[in-house]
Amino acid sequence: MIESLLRATLLGLQLGMTLALVAAGLTLIFGMMDVINFAHGALYMFGAYFGLLVGESLGSFWLALLLAPLIVGLIGAAIEILSLRPLYGRNPLYHILLTFGIAIMVQGIVVQIWGSQSRRIPAPDLLTGSVSFGPVTYPVYWLFVLVLSTVLIGTIWIAIERSDLGILMRASAHDTEMVDALGVDVKKVFTGVFVFGSVLAAVAGVLLGASRSVHPGMGFGVIIEAFVIVVIGGLGSFKGAIYAALLIGLVIAYGALIAPALTDLFIFTLMAAVLIVKPSGLFGATEAA
Amino acid sequence: MKSVMNLAADLKTAIGIGETTGPIGEQVLSSQGRLAALVVAGVLAVFAPVAQAFEPFWLNILTRMLVFALLALSLDFVFGYAGLLSFGHAAMFGAGGYAAALAIREVTTNALVVLPASMLVGVAVAAFIGWFSVRAKGIYFAMLTLAFAQMFYVIVFTDLPATVLDVETITGGDDGLFGIPLYEAIGIDFTSRLLYFYLTLVLVLVSFAVLVRVANSPFGRTMQGIRENEERMQFIGYDVQRYKLLAFSISGGFAGLAGGLYVPFQSVAQPGLLHWTISGELVVMLLLGGMGTLWGPMLGGALVIYLEERLAGFATWEIILGSVFVVVVIFAPRGLAGTLISIKNDPRNTITHVKQALRNYVEKVRG
Repeated sequence: MIESLLRATLLGLQLGMTLALVAAGLTLIFGMMDVINFAHGALYMFGAYFGLLVGESLGSFWLALLLAPLIVGLIGAAIEILSLRPLYGRNPLYHILLTFGIAIMVQGIVVQIWGSQSRRIPAPDLLTGSVSFGPVTYPVYWLFVLVLSTVLIGTIWIAIERSDLGILMRASAHDTEMVDALGVDVKKVFTGVFVFGSVLAAVAGVLLGASRSVHPGMGFGVIIEAFVIVVIGGLGSFKGAIYAALLIGLVIAYGALIAPALTDLFIFTLMAAVLIVKPSGLFGATEAA
Repeated sequence: MKSVMNLAADLKTAIGIGETTGPIGEQVLSSQGRLAALVVAGVLAVFAPVAQAFEPFWLNILTRMLVFALLALSLDFVFGYAGLLSFGHAAMFGAGGYAAALAIREVTTNALVVLPASMLVGVAVAAFIGWFSVRAKGIYFAMLTLAFAQMFYVIVFTDLPATVLDVETITGGDDGLFGIPLYEAIGIDFTSRLLYFYLTLVLVLVSFAVLVRVANSPFGRTMQGIRENEERMQFIGYDVQRYKLLAFSISGGFAGLAGGLYVPFQSVAQPGLLHWTISGELVVMLLLGGMGTLWGPMLGGALVIYLEERLAGFATWEIILGSVFVVVVIFAPRGLAGTLISIKNDPRNTITHVKQALRNYVEKVRG
């Protein structure tokens, strides 16, 4: 019992941290540009597929982990500049139509290029096998994912809180016009944040692509989990997204112990409960407006 | 066919033909628009037997287009018209569909019993979701409705009611409910696809007429006021939450009706009907068609279904459909309805408008 509980805790933390990579970009993009980005899951999926491409053609997981996010970052830049930029200032609802369209396109492109069967990115030999902590045995790869994503999230957190770029980002989110008036090119900040979010999503895609399966439905699958996290954490709050991601990761892991079929029910009940009690989410700055 | 004739007569009075109407600007649908709606319905009614004779497959698509037009209409009534951004309309659609499937299986195939039951179930589910959600505003309302709809999805998918009641199956779980027969009512056997099409057409028209009527009524005006300025309406003394709940429930009823029409036609009720992607697709239909106009979203819904059906043969259908969404949202911000209206009002300058839209786009991309 203790054993499976410990195992579930580790698994939950690992899942939570990788989901945090997806949710962080989603919440930053929403916080800054008011864009509900349905294409975020598609970028995550692109990350996994480009990881697969690089991993299989160059035979290196590490190169895949490095190159795939860069490629997806470029795609993210193209999406932001060519399609989102003309829409700023319009009713944010239209971003839904736009990003939904992009998400469908990406799904179609993936099916065209890679087919619709399930695949898996080969994990490096270095990370195969498992380690044991007392009674619990745990795959090395999952441990690696946990450590890497925690380090990444920690670094970003510090960067957002402390660095000049982080301050610029928060300022742009807080008052776009003022930052613009101060002589900063806010458009570039927007593009930068979107690219940054795309890169994070792609990293998560590569990491999970080697432990979960890579298939054309994965984009729409992850986006809803990421949304739940962003909403529970508070729309636009980075800190909130991280805490909520860990919470959801643990709920999924523990839920799998109690009633595997009903984990989704737990998650959405939790989401509804949070919204009813505190509509702005756990760490949301403002009340519902 | 007698009932169909009667319904058509009712319809004429319902949409107020021959009545004097107020200034056109205030109406959801001008008298010209009403005429256009009737003409479209007439053309469809004439076209259907032809389609049946030459290519029965067309009748299939048309019926599905009509059902989704109705569903998009029901959503627009709250989303575009009352400003309630529901992201959970799949729940009412699916609930209505499952209600119909269960009623047909266990009780009767009489449409006069089953369809009202579907509507009632839609109303009940909407009232339940709405009761928890109407206090939240804007995007938070959207997220709450999404959460509740997904709960319903999981409940249906895992067949939770059967587990709780300790019976073998109720919703059929993952597989859904198969082999649902078509309706019959007052001696008419709707097992003919053509008659089923007419049944759908008439019900969609009646629903449209009713919702336009409601939208133009004092109740509709109040909803418009709430959309524009909720606090102000509250200060004037309106019980804003009650109005929102009522509007949401009415909308849910029509979404349930759409489900009740869809499931017997497809002969299967599966959990996918309640999945959030249906809700998302509905919002897309709305924005594509032009929200808040009631008729625009119907066009949007019909168009999306049409494209999905027609493009299904192409391997690249998702890419094409996605591109259509992207192009429309960038170049036709007010959707199909907006584009049609601007072409109608100013047909000569259409080319100029297109050029201007392209120039604007390039300018904005360059920053």
